[in-house]
Amino acid sequence: MAQGLLTTSVGSFPKPAYLLEARNRFAKKQITTEELAELEKQATREWIDFQEELGIDILVDGEMYRGDMATYFAEKLAGFEISGLVRSYGNRYYRKPVAVAPIQWREPISVEMFKYAQGLTQKPVKGMLTGPYTMMDWSFNEYYADREALAMALAEAIHQEAVELEQAGALYIQIDEPAVSTRPEELELAIKAMAVVTNGLKAHTLTHICYGDFEKIYPRMLDIPVDQIDLELANSNYDLLELFKQNTFTKAIGLGVVDVHRHTMETLEEVKEGIRRTLEVIPAERIYVDPDCGLKTRTVEEAKEKMRIVAEATRQVRAELAR
Amino acid sequence: MHTTAVGNYPKIGNRRDEGQQTGAPVAFNPNATSITTATATEIATLPTNLRRAIALFDEGKLTAEQLAEVSSNVTAVVIKEQEEAGLDLVTDGHIRWADDQTYLANGIEGFTVSGLIRYFDSNTYYRQPVASGKLTRKGSILLKDYQYAVSVASKPVKVSCDGPYTLARLSQDEFYGGDIKAMALDLAAILNAEAKELLDAGCPLVQFDEPSILRNKGDWELFKEVMTRLTEGLDQTKLALYTYFGDATGLHGYFDLPFAIFGLDLTPTYGKANWGLINEFPQHKTLAAGIVDARNTKLESAEQVAELIARLPENINRETLYINPNSGLEFLPRERAQEKLANMVKGAKGVQ
Repeated sequence: MAQGLLTTSVGSFPKPAYLLEARNRFAKKQITTEELAELEKQATREWIDFQEELGIDILVDGEMYRGDMATYFAEKLAGFEISGLVRSYGNRYYRKPVAVAPIQWREPISVEMFKYAQGLTQKPVKGMLTGPYTMMDWSFNEYYADREALAMALAEAIHQEAVELEQAGALYIQIDEPAVSTRPEELELAIKAMAVVTNGLKAHTLTHICYGDFEKIYPRMLDIPVDQIDLELANSNYDLLELFKQNTFTKAIGLGVVDVHRHTMETLEEVKEGIRRTLEVIPAERIYVDPDCGLKTRTVEEAKEKMRIVAEATRQVRAELAR
Repeated sequence: MHTTAVGNYPKIGNRRDEGQQTGAPVAFNPNATSITTATATEIATLPTNLRRAIALFDEGKLTAEQLAEVSSNVTAVVIKEQEEAGLDLVTDGHIRWADDQTYLANGIEGFTVSGLIRYFDSNTYYRQPVASGKLTRKGSILLKDYQYAVSVASKPVKVSCDGPYTLARLSQDEFYGGDIKAMALDLAAILNAEAKELLDAGCPLVQFDEPSILRNKGDWELFKEVMTRLTEGLDQTKLALYTYFGDATGLHGYFDLPFAIFGLDLTPTYGKANWGLINEFPQHKTLAAGIVDARNTKLESAEQVAELIARLPENINRETLYINPNSGLEFLPRERAQEKLANMVKGAKGVQ
């Protein structure tokens, strides 16, 4: 039996309709925190069950409790306030964290939900964090002298949360850095900050990077001190494999094989071909197959179908390898 | 010394009474048939609630005319906010603009508008224009908006928009075969006609924003040609060229370009090197000093603004000098944008 080609997912799944409604009602103060938390747990349980049924190897809790990936952590760290509404694009607005005082870890943020999700399955569940570089880039900074100072303060705080997750039993800790590809000239800062986060961890560490102009940061990004880098391959037609042929991909890869921004489904054959092409440049034991990015932008049905394709295509390629 | 804004202004606010602010000169007609499906509360809060109005428009519950009316009302509100902050020269805040590129592209023959793409290194996105044919003028884009702004403003109104080079750089090219100069020159002709129309209508200042040249300094020679075409036959004394998110060092003879006013980013994050550059700023030209950071909520105090103005070198003519944020204010929550402008004005007055 071939080793490797484990299946997983990047983090988020879509929230079911009842949870979206509950979040609305919670915002209008029509239900309590406890009532909302109950429904978040219910939705988490449903997604864990779904991943179990598909035979996914490394599970995620689906992030049923998160609004925004930066604000979720900022709200619970000392030193942050949350801004008024700012525009992202079109008619889309969001609230940004604002660093107004020294950033400090105060209490576990994600540990309780991790424990809850891990308690539902024998399979490993990933601990999920937002990285210091991305937290910095997505925040206003009213306190620190510059971007580096804020990023490094965040690194200390996020390291503490990672340690807590590890102590709670997390075997995989994912530290998302989607912003890393925005400013290639700051990659060194992202690396330095990540070194603080992952320092001394025994868990398998990984980072997810997206929206990339990867040509500008590859192969330098291989210096990010994590065991695995999770990348979107499907939405760029596996162009990254050409870069990997020029400079060997030396880490484990999270191989995104379905495009999360498209409603249409990839065919089984397309996904299998993508995995096979990757196997030409990276050995199976270093490949983790997953969607390109979090699936929260898809409908529940689309997300499930994309996961089914990930699981089935991987199963078939594994069988080919075993022959 | 004058104070001004650069361009866009936050479209929505965060106050509890958002949407119920008074002072909007155009009454919204709540009896219009197409909004019968909107609730009474929604209609009551619509006159200046642009976010809700756009959502209703997207759902087909408001007509384009009704949406335009709400946009007009919000334009009046943001002009009033700039005036309350004390600015000498205001903009319409680009309230009608989905983003700084799309609005122009929609008014130009040959452009279609495609998917979302990141705006420089910010966390904001715009829909990328695609040149799928030769870019030509199909009619005036900015004049009507200028005239509306003037009708509700008590201070002079300037018009600002992307310059032709930046608009070309931020667009996709499916027609010019990668010839950025040809594309920018066609856009320069269009924007030249826009500016002419505005100046003829009495607009005191037309401002072109060219941040993209700072990231493509190798294009300097062709950029000069594009600027010559852009300003052909226009009164230079009423033209401004702004750049931001970087410095203009290394662009030899930058201040010889045919503009009277040069806006430079002087914030520590993006424009440190511009402080050296302005030591050679020519006496006969006007500096627009971008000393307030439009991309961070950290509030500059009036004292800090005054200090920064005092630090400008002696060759800078204090009488003609403009003080403004480094770029458009739309990166900020509305209230912080106004606070920044108010402190900026206080700081500038303290110096005078």
